[in-house]
Amino acid sequence: MSEVLLEIKGLHAEVEGKEILKGVDLAIRRGEVHAVMGPNGAGKSTLSAVLTGRPDYTVTAGSVTFAGRDLLTMSPEERSWAGLFLSFQYPIEIPGVSITNFMKAAINARRKAAGQEEMKPAEFLKLMKEKMAFVQMKGEFAKREVNVGFSGGEKKRNEIFQMAMLDPTLAILDETDSGLDVDALKIVAQGVNDLRSPEKAAIIVTHYQKLLEYVVPDVVHVLKEGRIVRTGGRELVDIIEKEGFEKIDG
Amino acid sequence: MAKVYLIGKDAVPGRISLGKGELLDMVLVALPGVSADIGLEVDLDGENAELNLYGLYLCPNEERLNINVKVAHNVGRCTSRQLFKGIVGGRSRTGFYGLIYVAKDAQQTKAYQENHNLQLSEEAKVETRPQLEIYADDVECSHGATVGKLDEQEQFYMRSRGIPEDKARELQMISFISSVAAQVEDETLREKIYDSLSEC
Repeated sequence: MSEVLLEIKGLHAEVEGKEILKGVDLAIRRGEVHAVMGPNGAGKSTLSAVLTGRPDYTVTAGSVTFAGRDLLTMSPEERSWAGLFLSFQYPIEIPGVSITNFMKAAINARRKAAGQEEMKPAEFLKLMKEKMAFVQMKGEFAKREVNVGFSGGEKKRNEIFQMAMLDPTLAILDETDSGLDVDALKIVAQGVNDLRSPEKAAIIVTHYQKLLEYVVPDVVHVLKEGRIVRTGGRELVDIIEKEGFEKIDG
Repeated sequence: MAKVYLIGKDAVPGRISLGKGELLDMVLVALPGVSADIGLEVDLDGENAELNLYGLYLCPNEERLNINVKVAHNVGRCTSRQLFKGIVGGRSRTGFYGLIYVAKDAQQTKAYQENHNLQLSEEAKVETRPQLEIYADDVECSHGATVGKLDEQEQFYMRSRGIPEDKARELQMISFISSVAAQVEDETLREKIYDSLSEC
């Protein structure tokens, strides 16, 4: 079996004084794609937020180890440099900042942290072009302001574009499939499938089975009321599809 | 082309009158380190005159800056648009006092005014007081004023992409001033404005 990339043990977390995660245990090995499914309010987005270090969420107990490091002591940018990526459920609009300048800042910050020189402009443009083609974005996309005036589908494609640019070791997709038409869904799925490799892993957080038709998970977890109540293979997706979340418990 | 005035360096006119069909695009810029009291009155004295007035003040330290603007629609069918943005930090104090006056016979006036401020420290004092004085009835007027802080969600979004906190802050400020800075056509000056954000 491959090495464990992410290990969550007894994770408790709260937001605004309310406990949302009540003891989550989860281990993801390199090469695996995991789906975390669950009804609204189960704590799925909280789990994504805590893993990426959102400041308004507080971890009250438990540990998270990522590639051998204590993830919870790292800042959001350090987590990104270490290879973690979150595709936001609601991507943020940044007027006046172009996609090009945004990505340049992100790529070069990571290189700086690794003690490398800034990426050469020609190399950067080549990478942009390649990844834009990958999510089927046209040339003018690079000049557009980050997420400003984007449709729902464009915002999610932009997330996948950024993911492809940053080439993370662990990608977390938080409800990336919500509000997507089939074409956009296929682009997202292709993005995740393309990232699959023996060294990398992904977590797909969703309450639909839609995306999981295109990205077949190795392991499926059901999160309910802040705990993982069941873990299984892909067959669990079909059971949820037929019976809903109500009947699933430990 | 918009005429740019650097407060503290260029003499800002106290009073300007616009005649029939005249157009004035104007940008007032206060870079870090500038304290001043600015008073500007623009009179729209001929029909179809148009004023686009922009302002930007960067006051990160101990600056004292007051901007008093009066835009007077003395005749009808004129348009005025104002957009002022300020970044206020340290222990600086800024005041924006903007009056839009619409005379009794100045029908079909269009007048808009916005003042938005980013307050970077608790010790900084930001005052914004927009005022409307309207005596005509067929007008389209609006004004808005805000004093806010750097948006945390926006910051987290950038940091989650590996952009460190200080750079994220700078990008947020670029984002905040971009609608005014874009009016500065002189590229060297525009770069100077963006560069001065590192002092904020």
